[in-house]
Amino acid sequence: MMKSGLYAGENYPAYAMILVFLVLLALGMKGVDPGSVRQEAGWINFALGGTLLAAFVISKLAGLIGLPNLTGYIAAGILAGPFVSGFLSPDTVDRLKLIDELALSVIALAAGAELELSAMKKRAGAILLNIVLITAVVFAGVSVFIIVFGSLFTATAGFSSNQLAAFAILAGVICVARSPSSTIAVINECRAKGPFTDTILSVTMVTDILIIIMFTAALSAARVLLADTGAVSWGEFGLLGCEIAASLFAGVLLGKATSFYIKHIRRDFLIFLVFLAFGITRASMGFNEYMESRAGVSLHLEPLLICMSAGFFIRNATDEGGFFMENLHRISMPVYVLFFSLAGAALNFNSLMLCWPLALAVVLVRAAGLFAGSWTAAWINRDPASHRRSAWMTYLTQAGVAIGLSQLAMRELPDIGTHLNTLVLAVIAVNQIIGPVLFKLALHIVDETGRNHHQPV
Amino acid sequence: MKIFFAFFLVILAAFGGYHLSFRRVAGRSRLAWIHLTGLEFLALGLLLGPRFLNVLDESTARSLEPLTALALGWIGLLLGFQFEIFQLRKFPPAFFLAMLVESTLTVLVSFCFFYFFLPVFLPLPGSLQVLLPLVLAATAACTSQSGLALMFQGRAGSTAAAVRLVRYMASLDGLVPMAVLVFIFFARTREISVTPLHILFLLAAALAGIFIIYMFFLAQRRDADELALVIIGMTVVTSGTAAIAGFSPLLANFCMGVCLVNLTMEKEKIFHLLASIEKPVYLVLLIFLGASWHLPDFWIAVPALAYFIVRFAAKIAGGMSAVHLLPALRRGFPGLLGLGLVEQGGLAVAILFDFQQRFSGPEISYVVGFALAAIVFAQLAGPYCAVLLFKRSE
Repeated sequence: MMKSGLYAGENYPAYAMILVFLVLLALGMKGVDPGSVRQEAGWINFALGGTLLAAFVISKLAGLIGLPNLTGYIAAGILAGPFVSGFLSPDTVDRLKLIDELALSVIALAAGAELELSAMKKRAGAILLNIVLITAVVFAGVSVFIIVFGSLFTATAGFSSNQLAAFAILAGVICVARSPSSTIAVINECRAKGPFTDTILSVTMVTDILIIIMFTAALSAARVLLADTGAVSWGEFGLLGCEIAASLFAGVLLGKATSFYIKHIRRDFLIFLVFLAFGITRASMGFNEYMESRAGVSLHLEPLLICMSAGFFIRNATDEGGFFMENLHRISMPVYVLFFSLAGAALNFNSLMLCWPLALAVVLVRAAGLFAGSWTAAWINRDPASHRRSAWMTYLTQAGVAIGLSQLAMRELPDIGTHLNTLVLAVIAVNQIIGPVLFKLALHIVDETGRNHHQPV
Repeated sequence: MKIFFAFFLVILAAFGGYHLSFRRVAGRSRLAWIHLTGLEFLALGLLLGPRFLNVLDESTARSLEPLTALALGWIGLLLGFQFEIFQLRKFPPAFFLAMLVESTLTVLVSFCFFYFFLPVFLPLPGSLQVLLPLVLAATAACTSQSGLALMFQGRAGSTAAAVRLVRYMASLDGLVPMAVLVFIFFARTREISVTPLHILFLLAAALAGIFIIYMFFLAQRRDADELALVIIGMTVVTSGTAAIAGFSPLLANFCMGVCLVNLTMEKEKIFHLLASIEKPVYLVLLIFLGASWHLPDFWIAVPALAYFIVRFAAKIAGGMSAVHLLPALRRGFPGLLGLGLVEQGGLAVAILFDFQQRFSGPEISYVVGFALAAIVFAQLAGPYCAVLLFKRSE
């Protein structure tokens, strides 16, 4: 097999051949009529495995032109998904949710573990300023834009002024949401480390908690606007506070349990980690269902928060942080490939087709808001000029949280929620394609790539 | 929701069980050898299944298909990795012949018994009259070597050669059942949308394609995480391809394993990766089989006992024949070699699971039900028989 020094150790011709053979194999298999349940199940397995391998190969090929691996994974998902080749049907994507959940929990554990308390303390002012300014500017920018220009777009032209205001508030809040998973994936891939990386990571993670509180407030405001009752449910905020506190506490307990496992058993920690990640998600869902159906209390544990809090605790409050991080890095690749290729397959291009003018406008306004907010924060903090210019690029990516919130809005406020969900999915489709590319570019501009080699403690 | 809980429970139990059953064996009493077999996980599966808690019902199990496909493929690939020609050549040819004699005789004896006696108490339609005895014969020939490996680790002295032969036979006698399985999967295709010729053509082309992809992937040395991704992806693709073609994921991955171990440079790394989670994978299969375990009444113990006795007799006869027929083994090897081959183990479970996934019907559930019960008997009796054999030899 040819191996050229030109390609810096990677055998790109081999990757191209793998892709060709995978496509041929998929075409051959597609020709078989799945007449039985067994054959249908076989097809799902084939599609899952094939997409996984294709995502890996495409990410390698994407590296040839300097694109992040994440873009390769997402591109493979888009190519395999229902809107391009149909290799992964919407039904198949839905059936693979199980794997999605597992991957997301592992990523959240990694996200929490990446946050180093000492680094956060050093940059506390900068982090706080970034959070406040970015949140305020993006929220205000997107909301005002929709209120002022909403009637010009087909998607929102039929709304009354109250509906438009409610829609704008919710869209503004959802636009503040980022993608911690994408952030972690790009940082890990680039092995980025430094004050710039620490700041964006902390800002992204803290915003992820903040966004849940903001969304609850926005939903209450939207309800008031739509129902014209003038009543805000303060009980919801109390319950939300309990949920967040309970999730963080559950994370600490799990962090303690994991630390105990590492200290006393240590063996097969990778498998333990995978099961732990899945267990957190499922157990919290089970708890939520139980509380609603049996106890009649709508107290929801947030698996993402639990995982992040567990990861944060292990990294900062135990001696096992190094071992934990080392093992997380070892499984990060299969997890990222699966999660982002499935995310790519789930990107909704139908929504983009339906409301692309408004979606593109929102993407631009959001990007402008991110730039204005992060530039001002960096200017006040007297950060280097390169940091000021490029910080906005790292906040573009959006994924799971934004989708979750828009779906919640759709359930709670169906009149405007359906339109909101369509818009959010379209905005995410654009941001998730350009976001990782610009993120990697920003890390290169500030020269913080390639330094993050985690050493075991 | 149930599917997630079921998945979590199954995985947690398999993982926890792996630690309890396979990691802490030193200093255990003989009764505790039961733990080594992982039989409690079969019971756990039964508990989780539709007969009791109904957590792991049929539709949930179907939704978890990618997991079982990976598990079956993993076992097949690992079995294929036992057939490295370079390593096999280090053993005397008589060992290989002994394995063939014992395994073939076990298949023949078991097949004849069930071909004539199974229809007496279970009315079988058409091709099942041959297929079900064949499956029973294939599983009867399988031997577990994990128990043997743990019990007689580093054994020296007069029994060392016998231990070596028994372990060799136990690790390779899956070859004959695999050949039988090929016939089973080609023999009955009426439930699926492809003809046997179509399967053959499709499979040959697909497996050749998969092997080429493997070779391209392994053309450069890979990190552990990249290799894990490639092996997981390829195993799932191979299992999926086999299932689409109406073939066995176990067999398809076995073929891949044989090719990979003999033709790639990364075999050590791959084997290490495969072996690292072999036991949890086996326990996952046990739980799934346990969940679908059909135990209509107590009387199922009768055919199970019959199966156990026939297999036991066939193994003893097979071992004796091997020792007496092969001149190289006439000295220094006990005649009752078959006593060391009673434990049935993971491959038999995998074959039953594979068969049950591909074919369905009340007769199949019944036969798989009593075959599983017989495996339980074999797992319980196996360690005692092995100890007896080596005590007699000393």
